[in-house]
Amino acid sequence: MAFGKFLLKRSLQGILVVWGVVTVLFGLRAITPGDPVNLIVDPAVDLETRERIRQELGLDEPIYVQYGDYLGDLLVGDLGYSYQSSRPVATMVIERVPATLELAIAATIVALVIAIPLGVISGTRRNEPADYGATSFSLVGISTPNFWLGIMLILLLAVEFNIFPTGRRPVAFHDALWTFLTTFYVGDLLTWLHHIALPAVTLGTYFTALITRLTRSGMLDEYGKPYVTATEAKGIPETLIRYKHVLRNTMIPIITVLGLQLGTLIGGAVVTETVFSWPGLGLRLITAINNLDWPLIQGIIVFVGISYVIINIGVDAIYATLNPRVLDE
Amino acid sequence: MTTDILRVDGLSTRFFTEQGQVNAVSDLDLRIERGEVFGIVGESGSGKSVTARSVIDLIESPGRITDGEIWFNDDGLAEAVADDHPEAVDGSFVNLLEVPERVRRSLRGTSFSMIFQDPESSFNPSLTVGEQIAEAVEVQRRASANPRSTRAKTREYSLGSLVLSTVLPSRKYVSEASRERAIELLELVGIPDPVERADEYPHEYSGGMLQRAMIAQALAGEPDVLVADEPTTALDVTIQAQVLDLLDDLQEETGMTILLITHNLGVVARMCDRVGVMYAGEIVERGTLEDVFDDHVHPYTEGLLGSIPDLEGPTARRAADDRAEKPRGGGRLEPIPGNVPSLLDREMGDRCYFADRCPKAMEDCLSHPPEYDGAGSEEHEVRCVLATREYTEARALPTDYFGKADRAAADKHADPDGTETDVQPERAESTVEGTGGERR
Repeated sequence: MAFGKFLLKRSLQGILVVWGVVTVLFGLRAITPGDPVNLIVDPAVDLETRERIRQELGLDEPIYVQYGDYLGDLLVGDLGYSYQSSRPVATMVIERVPATLELAIAATIVALVIAIPLGVISGTRRNEPADYGATSFSLVGISTPNFWLGIMLILLLAVEFNIFPTGRRPVAFHDALWTFLTTFYVGDLLTWLHHIALPAVTLGTYFTALITRLTRSGMLDEYGKPYVTATEAKGIPETLIRYKHVLRNTMIPIITVLGLQLGTLIGGAVVTETVFSWPGLGLRLITAINNLDWPLIQGIIVFVGISYVIINIGVDAIYATLNPRVLDE
Repeated sequence: MTTDILRVDGLSTRFFTEQGQVNAVSDLDLRIERGEVFGIVGESGSGKSVTARSVIDLIESPGRITDGEIWFNDDGLAEAVADDHPEAVDGSFVNLLEVPERVRRSLRGTSFSMIFQDPESSFNPSLTVGEQIAEAVEVQRRASANPRSTRAKTREYSLGSLVLSTVLPSRKYVSEASRERAIELLELVGIPDPVERADEYPHEYSGGMLQRAMIAQALAGEPDVLVADEPTTALDVTIQAQVLDLLDDLQEETGMTILLITHNLGVVARMCDRVGVMYAGEIVERGTLEDVFDDHVHPYTEGLLGSIPDLEGPTARRAADDRAEKPRGGGRLEPIPGNVPSLLDREMGDRCYFADRCPKAMEDCLSHPPEYDGAGSEEHEVRCVLATREYTEARALPTDYFGKADRAAADKHADPDGTETDVQPERAESTVEGTGGERR
């Protein structure tokens, strides 16, 4: 099947990309000054102990041996131990994934729910007040830096009006959902929603604005194509022309952007997570960088890289079903 | 006696662009009989396609039909709209421009359908060909399940239904029966393996196949009038012949009326019963094939016939050969010098629009000519003063009258005795652009 072959090809490419990420990261680590042993033990500890630790960590080996060891460990899923806390990096990454994923997905949902209808309205009512409104909104949204937006939202809605909390994540979504399913208690879910609202809006605003614009210009573009006139000539209902034909074709490029953005949301929620003290990967990454905790930095970035690649393959697969010409290339 | 199916009176379609108002079609009259093939022929930019699209109500902004009446002969429709819009009904005729847009829309597919010039861009690239044809079938199925309904919900399909249809196949717009009919239609137009082909996407078809598929799609609604806008222009010559054959056969079988838009006189000669020659938004000469090919009066028609390469086919050559006084210059093409006018309102004077390119322009041409009866059949009409008086050198306009000297001077066939010049004029190598067309 063309589709299977397509997926296989994309997966092999993905593996190459991940290898590239790992190698670049390893190179960066090698040229970064600072002795990791200082992070693990008190600087006052004697040289002999320090040398022993260095040996244990393999830091006395030549660089290519260290690289080989690292690749080998990665292949079996061993990300090493954090210098700072001595806990396994894999655990430290995995335990933070749900929070980041929740935030990324919530931001995407906020974006899609607002952007697609807004874009459709804007694209079908060109140069009418609704279009001007949507266009202005998206211009503002694209130009607003999200650290500023986050702080403003906190000041306004959390501090001034006290509608939303300033941050943190008192309950995980899967726990809240489990509570709801087992005891029909919605309180936890509502708490979760209450806490994620501001971070999701903050993270999703740029994205919303971007998708609105893409949908609008895509719709206008598609409406100008001859096939739309030909479809109108068939006499099928306007709804079908607008959604089944025009919007469907508009979504093809948007899905690509969507996928790429979801990838950046996972890695790029650093600012939003920091502003809202949202305990995700981004916040942990910032801490790890401040501590020069290389195993943890590498672990998080490699994880984000792999997620990014997987999301992209998924996006390509959806793209191929929507736009069958891709398979033939 | 044949009856008219479509009567267009005084149709004007204008485009309101940033450069100004463009009179793409001005005060155009047209009468099409049921079951005939009527051809509209002319250069690019003469308003042919706009005429066709005006009839089927596909004019898009910034264009608008500003004036005129389009009377469509349909008993059922006349009955259905008589109560609400008595002023739009005359016997079994309905003036389509006086009824609401939804009524006009309801005629698409079932009363009118259209074949477009470029099949490759006229199909949605992301849906299968079968699905797209099935949509057209579905329009017909729903319309015939509920005849006479022009306001009807049958034409509506809500967003809710569309969303539901993603989970409930029964709510889909296109039914299984329509899909099967689409396959039959593909077979009808000569697509091999129609069952497999129906599931393929437009990019998997060749140009000729896709044009056949488009014909199938246009036939799906069993239309009364098929508008074919340059149906063969984008195709290879051999495929062109096949597609024309197909249209010919289908027309014979179904008896539908075809309005054929083309710039190719060979296609006209082969397909049409009657033909109108269009120039600058109006029909300058109309009549039966014989009228236009053999007894034409308008120098523009003459010019068009002179621009046909000889390899076009015997019909075209016949037309040229019959005109004894028309020298073919050793098989060289004789393009019409100059370009079609811009059709910008402010640049169109009150004169014959062709005068600036006409080799026989006279002082009489400075006022806009009405339609005169032509010399041929009673159908023959021509918008040119030559229908009433002979060309005389004495009244001719000087060659540089219109500024640019892109007008061909009166040549030999205006001077049959050859008293004026005895040298066969040599054509310049360059064709229509600029001064290249001028005779020396």
